[in-house]
Amino acid sequence: MAAPRGWRLAGQGCCRLLHTERSAAPPPPLYPPVVASHTAKSKSAKRRRLEYFYQQVHEAPSIAEKLRLYGRLQRLKYVVYPQTFSLNADRWYQSFTKTVFVPGLPPAGAQPAGPGAPDLSELRSLACDALLQEHFYQRKRERPFLYREQQHVPGPFLTQLVSSLSAALGSSNPLLATSCLDLKPQVNFYWERGETVVCRGYRTGRIDPVRFQIDDEPLIQIRVPKQLPEFVPLDYSVPGEVPVINHKPDKLPLFKRQYDNKIFIGSKVADPCSYGHTQFHLIPDKLKRERLLKANLADQIEVTYRANGIASLFAWTAAQAMYQGFWCEADVTRPFVSQAVISDGKYFAFFCYQLNTLALTVKADQNNPRKNICWGTENFEEYGTRNHFFLPSLRILCAPLL
Amino acid sequence: MAGLWWPARPAAGALRAWAPRGPHRGKTAQVPRRPLPRTPWTTRGPPPGAPLPRSWQDKRPVQEQIPGLEQVTYAGKQYFVPWLARPRLPRWERGWHDPRHSPGPRYVAMPLYKERVCYVCHQRTKMLEGVRQALWLTKTKLMEGLPPKVLSIIDEPANQLENEDERVQNAISHARVWITTELIPKRESYCPVLLEDLLHLCRTMASKYPSLSKRMLARDYKVAAAWERESSILQVRGMNGILLNAINPLLPVASKDEILATENHILETFHPISPTIDLQEVNVYEERHDTGFREGYPYPHPHTLYFVESANVRPVRFRPEQLRAKMLMFAFGNALAKAKILYGDDPKVLEHPVVVQSIGTEGRIFQFMVFQLNTTDLASSDGVKNLVWIDSDQYMYDYIRYLPGIRKKVVKFPPGIYGYRPDTFKKFLALYLHGAVQDSTQTQIL
Repeated sequence: MAAPRGWRLAGQGCCRLLHTERSAAPPPPLYPPVVASHTAKSKSAKRRRLEYFYQQVHEAPSIAEKLRLYGRLQRLKYVVYPQTFSLNADRWYQSFTKTVFVPGLPPAGAQPAGPGAPDLSELRSLACDALLQEHFYQRKRERPFLYREQQHVPGPFLTQLVSSLSAALGSSNPLLATSCLDLKPQVNFYWERGETVVCRGYRTGRIDPVRFQIDDEPLIQIRVPKQLPEFVPLDYSVPGEVPVINHKPDKLPLFKRQYDNKIFIGSKVADPCSYGHTQFHLIPDKLKRERLLKANLADQIEVTYRANGIASLFAWTAAQAMYQGFWCEADVTRPFVSQAVISDGKYFAFFCYQLNTLALTVKADQNNPRKNICWGTENFEEYGTRNHFFLPSLRILCAPLL
Repeated sequence: MAGLWWPARPAAGALRAWAPRGPHRGKTAQVPRRPLPRTPWTTRGPPPGAPLPRSWQDKRPVQEQIPGLEQVTYAGKQYFVPWLARPRLPRWERGWHDPRHSPGPRYVAMPLYKERVCYVCHQRTKMLEGVRQALWLTKTKLMEGLPPKVLSIIDEPANQLENEDERVQNAISHARVWITTELIPKRESYCPVLLEDLLHLCRTMASKYPSLSKRMLARDYKVAAAWERESSILQVRGMNGILLNAINPLLPVASKDEILATENHILETFHPISPTIDLQEVNVYEERHDTGFREGYPYPHPHTLYFVESANVRPVRFRPEQLRAKMLMFAFGNALAKAKILYGDDPKVLEHPVVVQSIGTEGRIFQFMVFQLNTTDLASSDGVKNLVWIDSDQYMYDYIRYLPGIRKKVVKFPPGIYGYRPDTFKKFLALYLHGAVQDSTQTQIL
């Protein structure tokens, strides 16, 4: 009989074990491990497929392969536009990206005095020259075409300002001397946050993560080979909350599309300048101050700047983190920091972003106390009367480049 | 294939589908045709003296051949009939001026209309004879290679960037490979990016030479210059390229003896082609001089013009010869406009020649040019001529490999830049530093 024979055998084994020493390795299992099915329509099968997918991404031989596997599956996703006319978009974007917005600039760390401190009067004269060249001295068309006013004067002014300032500050900041300047680069990021039930189609009823994609095109971007130092420690507890919005993103309005899941910082993984320094954005014609004031949306002026800063900087820093091999299941071990200056030619707003966590999916976010932090100023005039440049704001303008 | 509507093979006994019918029935192409006999008619047209074939004879209209004969049209009937000719009806006049349907003022009625034709060179002008034509039009003598002053800047070791080769190769890889998520970027995206990256590298030299920061780039500016050349009025107009302006002018590159020696040089003509071929002929024009900037501009002197030839399609793209001609014409235009504003409209030999540099690229091949305007007296072909130094077809690299070349499962040709030549960037940097380095060497001499 099987049972007593087995018991006798076990007894014999136990008796032997009492008198002999335990051997180092347990004997290999006789049967393969019992796991859930791979293809069944069940939650355990779904879990097993997810585990297999995570294992594949973890074991990818190179970062390009990891990015390819991460974004291989194409599904309908919300396309998030950093420059948007939606009302109160900054609170929505904070909830999508788990960001806390802190007004003002981050605490200034101990800045080591460089060998040659930048001469502010020289930089001021460079800025004045760029301004006067674009606004007055260069002969241009009297009236630009419809909705092309921003490309006519403010765009070239910002380009000229950034290139001459970064060249002038290269002597005092060796990081800027080895930087790379991009004009109108592509910045893309794809991520998942939260869960929802699929309401239409053949996958109706299944629980799916909510997918987002940002496709951004800043006016100018400076990339550096070394990472910028962190503003605050990784696990710093920020005084502020991430807004929780209990509506579907469709209400913003946000619309879904299905296409390539791109993750791009402005150049491919092989580029040595794979960390970001500063982005410069230009507010488009349809979101200008005058149009918002005419539509009785004066309070939305700040909102457009904030939404642009949060979304663009999150996409850029998160893409930089993914270029270093981190992703939502392998969270960042050091904070990623970038800066942005957003303007419409006359009013400037400065933003600093610290990415502390990439784990935004439901599974990874369960015990994650870290939050991303975005510091931002209000927008204020750079030049009031004809030749008067506010020095404090010029100092802030140069601070990101230092 | 059930959907085929014609029979794939003709039925048995039927003729081949494309065999000739009629009098040549049965004569298929399989019968080899004897070669045609060589007669004066079959070799090259009719022999001299013989009457032309009917189709080659001049056909005058019937109204000219038979005077008094008129065509019978259906104009009187006021409806169409197929056997009568189509009448030529007078053009319908609206009777009042509708600005949305008006053809616009006629050229003859415009206030700036002139009888004498003016030939305009703009940014899409592709000149047939290239540099030779531009040399004749601008009364210039060509010197091969860059001037010795610029070459001496290249030779000095202090005028090099740190890790120059590595940084330039990174810039090339960034523009050609890393700029897009796709495998191969188009020329329209990589060509301007390469120029911007190289300019960014040159600007980092401002830490060594502070006078380099006294320069400003200007994009999308328009230049206007007009001159007379052996009874034709010529103009250079429009947007050309990216201009680097400087506070101080470039010092003359050629000595006074070289300038006087150009008097004996004879400009090359290319009869029977007219030197104004491919230039746009206009009757409505205004002769004016405009550097593109107002008075009081803090960076008044043009330093270098950068031309980017980034059309994707090869027929639209400028060939190197045409690009060099365009560079010469616009460098001359900028120099002439500046000279007229500084020294007045009278044609004369300039005491302080105006020097303008020019660099043109289509992403891989660079053309370098230094132009010196010695005289504004361009009407006659004698006398002092202008000088231009051209260094043409400088390859920065041979080709880029995007995918690795694998032979028998071994990577034999890794992806990357092949045939990189460091001299091209040294010349680019030397042209950028020209004008700023001279100051430091002169102060050292003093």
